[in-house]
Amino acid sequence: MSQKPDYASAENEALVKAAQKGDMEAFEELVARHRDKIYGRAFSMMRNEEEAIDLSQEAWVKAWQRLGQFQGEASFVTWMTRIVINLCLDQLRKQKRMRAESIEKLDEEVGGVERQMPVVVPNPTERLERSELRARIDKALAQLSVEHRTALVMHEFEELEYKEIAKRMGCSIGTVMSRLFYARRKMAVILAGLKREELQ
Amino acid sequence: MIDQETQLKLQAYLDGESTSREAGEIVRLLDSDAEAQVLFNELRATKSLLAGNEPERKLAEPREFYWSRIRREIERAERSADLLSAPATTTWWLRVFAPASLLAVLGVFVAVSLRSPENSVPMLAFGEGHEIDTPLEEISSFTFRSERAGMTVVWVDSHRN
Repeated sequence: MSQKPDYASAENEALVKAAQKGDMEAFEELVARHRDKIYGRAFSMMRNEEEAIDLSQEAWVKAWQRLGQFQGEASFVTWMTRIVINLCLDQLRKQKRMRAESIEKLDEEVGGVERQMPVVVPNPTERLERSELRARIDKALAQLSVEHRTALVMHEFEELEYKEIAKRMGCSIGTVMSRLFYARRKMAVILAGLKREELQ
Repeated sequence: MIDQETQLKLQAYLDGESTSREAGEIVRLLDSDAEAQVLFNELRATKSLLAGNEPERKLAEPREFYWSRIRREIERAERSADLLSAPATTTWWLRVFAPASLLAVLGVFVAVSLRSPENSVPMLAFGEGHEIDTPLEEISSFTFRSERAGMTVVWVDSHRN
């Protein structure tokens, strides 16, 4: 009689291989291990709890369906975050169409407030608890526009190159660079603890 | 003030996305331009603060609850996929026999309807005391007329003994 695998102590790679053979319990263990990370990435993109939960669950369903395509070039978590990022981008595109906003109308392309902002340097040596720093970053991210936040999340957290971000966002590399630049400048102001009102 | 193109070049240099020629230009600029240095430092500090500090979120939903919806969706999708893939393997015979069966049923119906009473056994036996009231003794007929279609159909049925 074969013994039931010990999923809880198995390595990710072993769980992935088992799941690729159709072992749903192995896949459930992968979901349990990484669900917070995938949900967190979806939340960073969407800034909406319900949407983030829905999209993260959809990502897991897609992952199960495409497990055969996972070859292990990147880690399983990286592969998963790419799936959820793509789903978030699709959702953001749908929302954008609903809002009927034009990319060309954004401030970033014509030079917005951020161009005139004085330079501020957030002090990396400032002794902030990591949780406090993350809370501050979270708060700052919430204040960015969807386009700026998306570019920032994909570059800083997902560590994608300009070219890859442009491909996924369906825009030019120049637009990505511009969005990233203004996103960073806004983040610098917020993270330095300055109030935007003081700058205007 | 540094122009926008130079600002973006500074950033590209920071992100390791400059060409070697642009990188050389930026190095020279940073050596000579204080404003460029300040902006570069801001961008670099922001980048380093963000690195590895993505806000963490924890799902409030219990593991089983979260998983149950995923599993349901997977199973539902697999059932749909099974149904979609079925035509290729199992329903070829349906495509052949379904129309043939329909034609056969229609054929039987028409044949029974038109069969003469002398050499037929009625498909439906009426109980005693039942009569079919027809205008003619031997024949029952129904007429359908459509003015709009300019069509008249007379359906003639043989009278049952």
